Amino acid sequence: MGYHTIVIGGGVAGMQCASELLRQGVAVTILEKESELGGKIRNWHKLFPTFTPAEEVLAELRSRLISSPNLAVRTGCEAAKIASDRVVLTSGEVLECDSVVVATGFTLFDAKVKEEYGYGIYDNVITSADLERMFNEGAVRLKSGVTPRRIAILHCVGSRDEKVCQRHCSKVCCVTGVKQAMELKRMFPGADIFNFYMDIRMFGPGYEEMYREAQVDYNVHFVRGRISEVSPTIDCRLQIKAEDTLTGRPLKMAVDMLVLLVGMKSNALNENLVAECGLKAQPSGFMQPRDSFLHNVESNREGIFYAGAVTAPKNVGESMNEGTAAARAVVEWLAKR
Amino acid sequence: MEISDMTFFASFCIPFIAGASIMFAVIAVKYISWLRNLPRKDWRLIAKGVFSMSTLRALWEVVRESLLHRRIFKVDARLGYMHMSLAFGWFLLIAVGWAETVAYLGFQWVPLQGHVFFKYFVPLNGITAHKPVFDFAMDFLLLFVLSGVAMAWLKRLRSRALGMRKTTNHILFDRVALSALWFVFPLRLLAESVTAAIYGGGSFLTGGLGRLLDSVMGEGALGYAYEPLWWMYSLALGIFFVAMPFSRYMHIFTEIPLIFLRHYRLRPEAMEKSYDNFEVEACSRCGICIDPCQLQSQLGINEVQSVYFLRDRRYNMLQQKIANNCLMCGRCEQVCPVGINLNTLRLNSRSSMRNIPHEGRYNYLRGVDRSLGEGRVGYFAGCMTLLTPNTMSSMKRIFEAAGEEVWWADKEGGACCGRPLMLSGEVDSARKMVEYNKSLFAKHGITTLVTSCPICLKVFREEYHLEGVEVLHHSEYILRLMEQGRLNVGREQGATFTYHDPCELGRGSGIYDEPRAVIEAVGELLEPEHTRHDALCCGSSVANTAISDAQQLKIAQGVASQLEETGAQTIVTACPLCKKAIARGATRQVADLSEIVARCIK
Amino acid sequence: MINFGFSISKPRAIDIDRNNLRKSSEITREMPELQSCIGCGSCTATCTAGNLTEFNFRKVHTLVRRGEYQGAYEEMNKCMLCGKCRLVCPRGINTRGVVMLIKRKLGDF
Repeated sequence: MGYHTIVIGGGVAGMQCASELLRQGVAVTILEKESELGGKIRNWHKLFPTFTPAEEVLAELRSRLISSPNLAVRTGCEAAKIASDRVVLTSGEVLECDSVVVATGFTLFDAKVKEEYGYGIYDNVITSADLERMFNEGAVRLKSGVTPRRIAILHCVGSRDEKVCQRHCSKVCCVTGVKQAMELKRMFPGADIFNFYMDIRMFGPGYEEMYREAQVDYNVHFVRGRISEVSPTIDCRLQIKAEDTLTGRPLKMAVDMLVLLVGMKSNALNENLVAECGLKAQPSGFMQPRDSFLHNVESNREGIFYAGAVTAPKNVGESMNEGTAAARAVVEWLAKR
Repeated sequence: MEISDMTFFASFCIPFIAGASIMFAVIAVKYISWLRNLPRKDWRLIAKGVFSMSTLRALWEVVRESLLHRRIFKVDARLGYMHMSLAFGWFLLIAVGWAETVAYLGFQWVPLQGHVFFKYFVPLNGITAHKPVFDFAMDFLLLFVLSGVAMAWLKRLRSRALGMRKTTNHILFDRVALSALWFVFPLRLLAESVTAAIYGGGSFLTGGLGRLLDSVMGEGALGYAYEPLWWMYSLALGIFFVAMPFSRYMHIFTEIPLIFLRHYRLRPEAMEKSYDNFEVEACSRCGICIDPCQLQSQLGINEVQSVYFLRDRRYNMLQQKIANNCLMCGRCEQVCPVGINLNTLRLNSRSSMRNIPHEGRYNYLRGVDRSLGEGRVGYFAGCMTLLTPNTMSSMKRIFEAAGEEVWWADKEGGACCGRPLMLSGEVDSARKMVEYNKSLFAKHGITTLVTSCPICLKVFREEYHLEGVEVLHHSEYILRLMEQGRLNVGREQGATFTYHDPCELGRGSGIYDEPRAVIEAVGELLEPEHTRHDALCCGSSVANTAISDAQQLKIAQGVASQLEETGAQTIVTACPLCKKAIARGATRQVADLSEIVARCIK
Repeated sequence: MINFGFSISKPRAIDIDRNNLRKSSEITREMPELQSCIGCGSCTATCTAGNLTEFNFRKVHTLVRRGEYQGAYEEMNKCMLCGKCRLVCPRGINTRGVVMLIKRKLGDF
């Protein structure tokens, strides 16, 4: 067809979208700000609910892209301004095209903002992303090198929290918390794992079953209550305070490690897209698709499309589906033009 | 004609005489009852002060503030001129007018209306030889006052023209008095001008206008206007005088006894008392307190500012929602030209509404002691600081570096200092916490008490009366350690900081320089637009229980953006509450003072 | 057995049909945000008073909203109004305002 589409963001949504476009004969340039494609799951160990290694999914996605003469991958570059027929990079370089797919995903919430949880202050307070990195490195250890005996996992860090201006639910943290609890339990069968949650939102196929499995087969403890404060104990453990809301009593316990399930935050870039490019965002900061049902991968501007978590928190499967859907919408639009 | 035969009465004087009599009677009744109800303690203060230098100092302040309005000049020169021309101008009109009667008649008793309407009575008493010096002086002063009236009109129409974003919304009594006052001087001008046209006299203003009116209207018409104009002038005065003690203009006289009482060291307290009446009625409702209020400028809340609070309290129509909706940041108190203790008055109003002594309350505190460690220095983090563990761990590092043995009062949770409860008006219950904490401090024998929370600091200093214990904010303590050479910090190369003055620390406790000295020891300090006495409030003040989270956030965002405009890499503050609030609105790092010190310890 | 000081002689069930919800709806009308509570318990966990005595802010205000007023005023009197709960509430509820409102509606000022 001779058309050229720029896909901004080389995560799962962007890669899937690019491979679909290539399959349909559209030339694609992927812009990726990191040094290689893969996005967030590059740093993830296994994916819920099947415990599929993230690397496996990435390898398949990469292989779909490989050796296509119509593909250009530009790593280490970021978009500053976009229109349907051009993308201006932060370097000032202008790339011409026929349509644009924005698949820029999300930003992980910075846990330091919730100072009371002690991330960055106490050694053994880590985030879910840190834990995945540890899984990938093959060892989960305390700073002292000892294996943890008691671990708390806190849900909703940087999600559903007015105090950090993140009103939305990040959707995937609940199931991630369950997944990580199970993985930890596999690693340390003797350890006690406590998940502190507000609501457990098991929205996907197999998730609820996984939750049950964690409870029954893995003996993961679920405490309904949000941790309010973390402080150090004399023996360098972490003292956590919460209310066990199901019994209506305050709960205190010392743990070796606290894992914060950090939520998804909209990218800072989105503000720029609204201010400079005429695109619309939701109050949460995520981009606003043209229509939630009939045009959910299209933006409010012709020729600019969305795929993946740029419009809302999504899991890997949903993001990939949107990559496919966006590719299809692009092809339709190019043909109609 | 013999001087003794001179009359100083005409029927048009009746409204004036009646009005003035009512005014003086009402004011006398008010003052007598307020003074009579002063507690004995206050009377002792008056007795002690009245024959001392305080009286002279008060007199000088009366001249400066009640006549010249120095403090309003500080807010805005235009506003200052307007108030001065009205107050000082009118005063001079009366003073010079009295001198004028003396100059004509020598020292003899002349009834009040004789002075006020002297221009009317002069021809009546057969005096034809004029004294141009007085004519000129009186005309000049009248012009001076009229210029103020013209500015007052302008201010009503366009407050910005006089440097005010918003001016006061007035109630009916004020509007009546205000309108009467506006008419008093123009009517005086007309009455005197017509008199000058008919009987001669008058200088550039009344004489000039008289000649103009004469040429336009003719002598016949002026003759008809003559009596009615004096009537209207007298009526305007009479109406003003009757409305005056019930309106904002009560401040004209009330500010004077207030200044004296204040010099005798009378102050409003946690509970309402008779002295408060002087403060409340000394409010002129100038509205200067409105502009600095962030509830107005950031949130558009218009009915809660100090001017309205005092008004509502004065007329016994104060509602809880008005009394509660105040950050007590003290920005209004800072600019109040009358120097009214706005925060204390609001607090004692709150306590009148909510203070319900309850014997059994907080009995659970009995015997509780969760403190840790031992040392002469006690550290009271404060409730909020427990939610900013960076401050806690930084203080720990600082104590260790200085080799200080520390008793940790509330690391494992302690009782609140009591100030939040006081701020909400529950003064008696707050005493329970004060007593509890005092006994805890006494039990552990500390000699220095360091706190990271300015809210605690203020109440420790003002309400705890801790004998033998020095109370320090951590900014003061850290600076002292540095000065004593017990804490060595290195400078962070190229580091830039800006500093947010917490209300309770700055305006509340007068601590401005110590945190700045500490910051300058570790890096460069960049001041925001509003700073020190004029610093903004973070919006999360515990004194306000009325505004919503979203409203708190909005104020915080305003403050944060102003701090970020300095270009500093790090926003520093010295209050856990301010830190949390500003961090919500900031894109840059927000740190407590202790953090930036702890990371620079050598 | 947890003793909240006001539950001893009361029947176990909350009978919404029999409870008079007038005060409850007055309270939520004056402060609608209270209805947004997700019951995470942060307020109770961080509570300065709750750290020293049996006081559960979340439970008391929830009971009040269900029309269970007995003892609520006395319970709220345990609050020191320190404001920590307001600082942690993920729903941004004006918790100190809630304490004062409940005391005003159910108490005597």
